[in-house]
Amino acid sequence: MKMVHTYTFKGISKETLWSTIQNKEVLQKALPGCKVFEEVEDNVYHSVLGINMGPIKGEFTADVKQVDMKEPEFYRLLVHAKGKPGEIEADAEMNLEDTENGVLLTCNAEVEVTGLLASIGQRIIGGVAKVIIGQFFKDIEKETKNLVE
Amino acid sequence: MAIEAVNVSVTINGEKRSAEVEPRTLLVHYIRDHLNLTGTHIGCDTSQCGACSIMVNGKAVKSCTMLAVQADGMEITTVEGLGTVDNLNPMQTGFWEEHGLQCGYCTPGVMVAMMALLEDNPNPTDEEIRMGLEGVICRCTGYQFIVNAVKHAAKLMAEGKSLVGEGLSQ
Amino acid sequence: MTKNIGARIKRKEDPKLLTGNGYFADDIQLPGMLYAAILRSPHAHAIIKSINIEKALEAPGVVKIYTGKDLEGKIGRIPSSWLVPDSNLKEAPQYPLAIDRARYVGDGIALVIGEGRYAVRDVLDLIEVEYEPLPVSVKQKDAMAENAPLVHDDIENNIAFHWKAGEVEDKDIDEAEVVLRASFNVQRVAPSPIETRSAIGEYNPGSGELKLWCSSQNPHIHRMVLSEVLNISESKLQVVVADMGGGFGGKIGVYPDEALVGYAARDLKRPVKWIEERNEHFSASNHGRDEVIDVELAGTKDGKLTALRVVNTANMGAYLSTMGPGVSTIDFGLMITGAYDIPKASCETFGVYTNTTPTDAYRGAGKPESTYQIERAISLFAKKIGMDPIEIRRKNFAKKEAFPYTNAQGLVYDSGDYEKPLNKALEMIDYKKLREEQEAKRKEGRLVGIGISTYVELCGFGPSAVAGAIGFQGGVWENSTVRVHPSGKVNVYTGTSPHGQGHGTTFSQIVSDKLGVPMEDIDFVFNDTRAISMGWGTYGSRSVAVGGGAVSIAADRLVDKAKKIAAHELEVSVEDIDLADGIFQVKGVPGQQRTFKEIAKSANFAWNLPEDIEPSLETQAFFDPSNFVYPFGTHIVVVEVDKDTGEIDLQRYLAVDDVGRVINPLTSEGQVHGGIAQGVGQALWEGIRYSETGQLQSGSFMDYAMPKARFFPRIETAFTETLSPVNPLGAKGIGETGTTASIPAVMNAVVDALEPYGVTDMEMPLTPEKVWQVIQKGRETN
Repeated sequence: MKMVHTYTFKGISKETLWSTIQNKEVLQKALPGCKVFEEVEDNVYHSVLGINMGPIKGEFTADVKQVDMKEPEFYRLLVHAKGKPGEIEADAEMNLEDTENGVLLTCNAEVEVTGLLASIGQRIIGGVAKVIIGQFFKDIEKETKNLVE
Repeated sequence: MAIEAVNVSVTINGEKRSAEVEPRTLLVHYIRDHLNLTGTHIGCDTSQCGACSIMVNGKAVKSCTMLAVQADGMEITTVEGLGTVDNLNPMQTGFWEEHGLQCGYCTPGVMVAMMALLEDNPNPTDEEIRMGLEGVICRCTGYQFIVNAVKHAAKLMAEGKSLVGEGLSQ
Repeated sequence: MTKNIGARIKRKEDPKLLTGNGYFADDIQLPGMLYAAILRSPHAHAIIKSINIEKALEAPGVVKIYTGKDLEGKIGRIPSSWLVPDSNLKEAPQYPLAIDRARYVGDGIALVIGEGRYAVRDVLDLIEVEYEPLPVSVKQKDAMAENAPLVHDDIENNIAFHWKAGEVEDKDIDEAEVVLRASFNVQRVAPSPIETRSAIGEYNPGSGELKLWCSSQNPHIHRMVLSEVLNISESKLQVVVADMGGGFGGKIGVYPDEALVGYAARDLKRPVKWIEERNEHFSASNHGRDEVIDVELAGTKDGKLTALRVVNTANMGAYLSTMGPGVSTIDFGLMITGAYDIPKASCETFGVYTNTTPTDAYRGAGKPESTYQIERAISLFAKKIGMDPIEIRRKNFAKKEAFPYTNAQGLVYDSGDYEKPLNKALEMIDYKKLREEQEAKRKEGRLVGIGISTYVELCGFGPSAVAGAIGFQGGVWENSTVRVHPSGKVNVYTGTSPHGQGHGTTFSQIVSDKLGVPMEDIDFVFNDTRAISMGWGTYGSRSVAVGGGAVSIAADRLVDKAKKIAAHELEVSVEDIDLADGIFQVKGVPGQQRTFKEIAKSANFAWNLPEDIEPSLETQAFFDPSNFVYPFGTHIVVVEVDKDTGEIDLQRYLAVDDVGRVINPLTSEGQVHGGIAQGVGQALWEGIRYSETGQLQSGSFMDYAMPKARFFPRIETAFTETLSPVNPLGAKGIGETGTTASIPAVMNAVVDALEPYGVTDMEMPLTPEKVWQVIQKGRETN
């Protein structure tokens, strides 16, 4: 399943945004229901997330990798999350671009889900993912401002 | 993970019953496994099929979507409370006379849901019955004879036959 | 005497079911009973690298966990029971749990046994499986391509079988005046009985006997197959079916799960219960259909059909199910010409393995698909040459005089008179007026469509010699015992296996008429391999035609025996005895009589029997019919499509069916309604969806659209009666006609409604979104 999501971070530069989204503490705060967030090695994280999506609720253990980093405008985010309701495999290209309104972040993701997530959640997964990602960016924006201030 | 059992007491089909259950026990499992009233059935796990429909305090609910503990102290009617083989209530008679059932698995839930419909609307049209059946799924009948059955039940009620079966407190 | 046969009689089965006294599988509680749950693969195709059950074994209530490796060599493979000959059939072994590779979402990985239904469910979440996902094959035509991922490494191009019947040469098509080419996709659907599948095992270590309650439409087939799978003597295995909440083909199959439960009960020496969950049902219970059908229909400009060439590419899923291989070959491929006398016809079928749930018979099993292609194709052909869809049908019908009629592929249809239900349907619906109304509404810009289907289907399988010739691993005869107790009350036993059809009533009507005893004195015994010596179950609309035949013959034999006893007691010859209303009467001598009850007592006490008569009043019959039966009829559908929303309003549905002798019009109409609802469901709403990676995307009733009451108009029904010559009742099957007829009838109606937009075909199910899109496209191009 393909997902495209964009978000404009107002009043900040690419560089600022880049450093925020590389900040472990910020990420931990912005990730949904994040209970554990550890850097295992450079750009490789281990986390535990609580996800609540319609009929499906559960705790997911996620391995997150950032690769192909081109500071401050591009990186790829590889996520493999596993929980009782199934597995999520995501490969997201993150593009940061300065515009007159601020930084436009474009997330181009290929997402695969298995198990209950697929057989019951599929119908709503696009919508829910949109809400989760939207909330994530919003929280990042908030944290960025906090850091800047 | 050993969770302490809790006591759940209900008045079911006019009789006071209670059992110790895990707090997470679904009402339908409490009724079936703990009170041994197995007329109420389970057909899905997402509350679409309505095979588990029962009356709780006079309202039709899907008992797979409610916890037993939530029903503590309440009045419940299941298919066993409608009428006996020797004294069927009008809904049961309607289903029998009009062939409103085939495998009979969804039937207890469908009849209970239709009793709730007739209480609100004692003389429904075909269209209203079909809308009223929205919360249940029957795979056998194609619904037409269920519609006939409900109409027949409505007629029997209009003739003064009570919907409430034997042994009911309501 | 036919007091009851043909009468609208309410069912004997119902009081129990209406009062909550049904006894369904999950109602069974046995002392010390354990519960089972099955961990299933979330991947469509993956290597099972490791299974870690350490944590799971510490969970409260867990008793035992089995993996595929644990069971290797202990439980046999689950075989297919329809090994279609001359098809190079390659049956990949299916083990009760996947051993090193999972091949579809839902493939069993581990079996958990524990104390309580919630406890075993908890344990599933604690089993850690490491998978290495593999590339997948999901769609059948893709799976046949070079370099497609192989579901089973040693099966080339994933082709499970390749079958052909009939001969059509290229010139028959190429040189024809008109050729209609079309490709139809009869999509995958889920049978979806409201009661899911189940199994309960109870083992006696002293006697070595295993009692297995199964959700089965054919308990004797389950016993036969499972005795081998579990390596237990057939004489020690008892298969029982409790009251069962529907089947529709989904419970024909012998599944791994039943073997697992039987094994665990024997291994642990405690009763074990497994009840399938609905989500689990969508991935672990066989699906139906999933056939891509390429059709070439040749004929003349004036509408005479001359040749039909069909290629069916059928998705078999990851393994061959119990009946699976027969569906797209024998059931489908020999019926492609339908009700029409097309001189040349051929069908080629490819059965293809994919990483999906296996497919098996689903209500109609191959006949809805064959009827779909011919009824769609003939309507499209008519449109192509500007002929009325009724006229082209009449022109090509196999004629009444031609019966028993042999079709182009050599199949002999027992009886038929296709004009009869057609004429009745046209009259009932006032076809001429209907077309005029359609024309008027079209002028107002409304999208009204009329669809017709003049189907014929094959059912009531027999004789057994034919079953053997077509590779069915069993017989197709039926068995019945009529047993009269000293009191005169009657038990009847048969090998058919009702689960909603109401055989207890229908068959009682037959026995009551034969014996002259009241309906309430007759009780049927079904669904227990200990009580019933043998039988082949309920599927393929065989129960009344074949099972009813056995009942009828057994009852006749009983009457013969009883008459002999009565004649002996009354000191007259048998020819002088009449049986009417339960009285054995000496002809012309009032007062010289015996009641049925008196004879029952005489026979059972055996104080004074004729020399050549054995004690008791019990007879048995084994009936192997001389041919299949071929019900037929005409269904007409009227729809109106909402231009702005794409919604389809089903406005009228008329079914005129000819199923031979109708034993009980009430239950027969019920069968027709139910069958139609499932066919309409396939045409308009239902569909199993897989992602490209083989993930099941329709795993609940939220995601899989079941037919609901408000979607249907009042279905109008009628019967014509053309008796079958191949069984004593003259009956044909009725369970599947509605499904078979309705799918193309609805589709033809919708396509007719959309004609102003140049639409000739659409993919089922016809969701509003799809309809809306073709309307938009039509608007742009028009």
